[in-house]
Amino acid sequence: MDPTRELIDQVLLKTAIAAYATGALVLFAYFLTRNGLYRKIGAPLAILGCAAQLVELGTRWWMTGIWPLTNLYGSLSLFSALGVAIFVIFALRYDLWLVGGPVVAVSAIALAYGTTWNEGYMPAVPALQSYWIKIHVPIVISAYASFMVAFCVSLIYLMKAYGETRFAARRGAVRGIAATAGGPPVDLTLSASTYAATPALGSARIDTPATSQAAAAGDALAQWLEGLPSLARLDVMQYRVIAIGLPLLSLGIITGAMWAKEAWGAYWQWDPKETAALVSWIVYAGYMHLHTRPEWRGVKTAWISVLGFATIVFCYLGVNIWISGLHSYKM
Amino acid sequence: MSDSRAPAAQAPALRAALARTWGETVALFAHVPFGVSLLAIWAVLTLIGVIVEQGRDPSYYAGAYAPPLARLILRLDIENIYHSPAYIGVLGLIICSMAAATFTKVIPRRIPRLNPVKIDAIPLHARLRVAGDPDAVRARLAAFFSSRGWQVRKRAFGGTEWTFADKSNWARRGVLVAHVGFVLIAVGTTIYWATGYSGQFAVLSGQTATIPQNGTKVALERFAYRIDPVRTKAGIVYQPIDYVSDAKVTARDGVTRDAVIRVNHPYDANGTLIYQSTYGFAIDFRVTHDGVPVPGPDHPLKEGEGFVVDGTTRAIQYQRFVGTIDRATGMPGADPRPNDPGVIVVAFDGDRPIGQALLPLGVPVDLGAGYKLEAARYVLYSGFQYRYDPGIPVVGIGAFVLLAGLCVSLYFVPARLFIIVRESGAGTSEVGVAATTVKGYDVFEDRFREIVEALRRDAPSVPHANEAAPAPVLGAV
Repeated sequence: MDPTRELIDQVLLKTAIAAYATGALVLFAYFLTRNGLYRKIGAPLAILGCAAQLVELGTRWWMTGIWPLTNLYGSLSLFSALGVAIFVIFALRYDLWLVGGPVVAVSAIALAYGTTWNEGYMPAVPALQSYWIKIHVPIVISAYASFMVAFCVSLIYLMKAYGETRFAARRGAVRGIAATAGGPPVDLTLSASTYAATPALGSARIDTPATSQAAAAGDALAQWLEGLPSLARLDVMQYRVIAIGLPLLSLGIITGAMWAKEAWGAYWQWDPKETAALVSWIVYAGYMHLHTRPEWRGVKTAWISVLGFATIVFCYLGVNIWISGLHSYKM
Repeated sequence: MSDSRAPAAQAPALRAALARTWGETVALFAHVPFGVSLLAIWAVLTLIGVIVEQGRDPSYYAGAYAPPLARLILRLDIENIYHSPAYIGVLGLIICSMAAATFTKVIPRRIPRLNPVKIDAIPLHARLRVAGDPDAVRARLAAFFSSRGWQVRKRAFGGTEWTFADKSNWARRGVLVAHVGFVLIAVGTTIYWATGYSGQFAVLSGQTATIPQNGTKVALERFAYRIDPVRTKAGIVYQPIDYVSDAKVTARDGVTRDAVIRVNHPYDANGTLIYQSTYGFAIDFRVTHDGVPVPGPDHPLKEGEGFVVDGTTRAIQYQRFVGTIDRATGMPGADPRPNDPGVIVVAFDGDRPIGQALLPLGVPVDLGAGYKLEAARYVLYSGFQYRYDPGIPVVGIGAFVLLAGLCVSLYFVPARLFIIVRESGAGTSEVGVAATTVKGYDVFEDRFREIVEALRRDAPSVPHANEAAPAPVLGAV
């Protein structure tokens, strides 16, 4: 590629990294302070970084004629861009900007790490010379990005859940799901939630009056927790993002199998990458099953979401880097 | 007489015990956490297969792991875990669990009965006072929900008329569809195990190979490859660009056809797909003793093959081909293309390796005792895989059915509204409405709030202050 094109590529890449890094800091500040000004600054920065990345990938393709997702740099780049894109869509739809700090930070880290695998513009090896690469890879990366966003929501859920449990315990009576199952309805009208949910009936919320009372008494942590979305809302958001990711992962595995049948002779070869993706699929399928159970919905499913993302990281990076197999292309 | 009566008397009790045991077993298998436990075991076994390299020789595990661990891997079939009895057994249990859940929970609940409920006991509930007598209000409500795509039905229980509104009731079958897809995949896989076959073979340029299962002949006319040097930030990298085999294939129908087989473009020989999988350089080795040729290998050797030097206890194994020997260092160069080729061979005395050497092609090397070894020339060979899998269509259909079931069950929330209208005096009625879904209440809370807001807007002349209970609201963001 000529120097001018190289320069364009570098400018776009550095713009994306700078926008993400700054955007992550500002959105973290919003997460901590709830100052709307930070959201107004951080959200455009996240969108700018995402746009710069997508344009960078597009220009790479346009300038070299080489599909940019044939190496780890390209796929990590798309992962971070899609992670931010999915977050922005959810934030716009459900006012979930609080999750922006961790999402954009993970995207920035992924992109920065991806640049260490950026070896330039290499033509694809024969196994990757297929139209399937333009179908399979973006679908799988979209699934990974969805799970990353879900992971960030789960972290905030767990933070709030354990914080509330702490205040409830401090008050001398844990009034969470386990403690009240089968008992009389818990009056939640003092908390952020305003309907009288009986935990035994299946609500994910364990919001307790204790946090509200501590907040009213001036406890800074309780006031901060009060400002977070309710546990029910966080649980629903986590479920909705995983509900995007799981079908995408399923479709990714199916399209991968179709490609494998065309390239390797069998739709399933028990290759480490395939089987690691299957492990992730099983974990998220387990999440979906358990999320239908009131006694599992909440903290337990949030931890399963965290575990699921750990399997995604293993499948995405661990298998690519440390385990050899049919997916071990030169990166 | 008493001997013959005793078993007859015990039979009903035995049947009852068996029925109870069967019922308990089915209930256990249909229990969601039990099914998820099986999924967890499946995930752990699969993960072990990812981490522990599969299908290697026992000596590999002995070398790669501590002895107790290596023994454990071999004794528990972990080196071939995906085909181990434990793995297949877990899959079988998962299918049993799915079947039990499908027949005891999913199918019976796909059309839930219309029953009255205690409105206030359901977390998603609201009460509104609206103008009009109960009959008029019921008629308005029915029209309201019908116009928004809800299926409205009315039933009377103990003289009280209830209105039920269902949305996306069909989506209650999503889980059933997903389970059917999973079973179809299992059926398709079983069809392959029962009737399919696969294998691999390598054929030298100019030679013919036969697929043993169906007699298909593959005559390789020419194999070609393209490897390009590409400048990267780390320096020159030799990147494979293309592998292609020109062949003549005689399939079961006896007709010989020209075939160009390359990666991602398999050749279909009457249902058996032939894939370009690998290639290599076969080497023609020659051995002389005091200048006189001695019997050596009768065919060009592929990587990993070897031969015993005639009249000695020594053996030579061809380890790998070196495309370009770096003349400055005498070591293998980075360029894999055969510019200045050589081969790496390993010499054995009996089973004991005694050394290895890099032999330039066409240059004899002294083995001692008057023996000389020469790697005379190379012949390109092409490696193919073949597979006959009549289960593929079933697996494909199963995969898309599974995906469709997932999408239906994740993106469509079947919801039921329970509506009761009571006279509340002064020409007004009280409407009690509650909602249930198959996914709990939180996931439907936003939607329920919208419905209640729409009902408020649609119910004129009664101010909000008269409502008996507020519409639910999600926690503040």
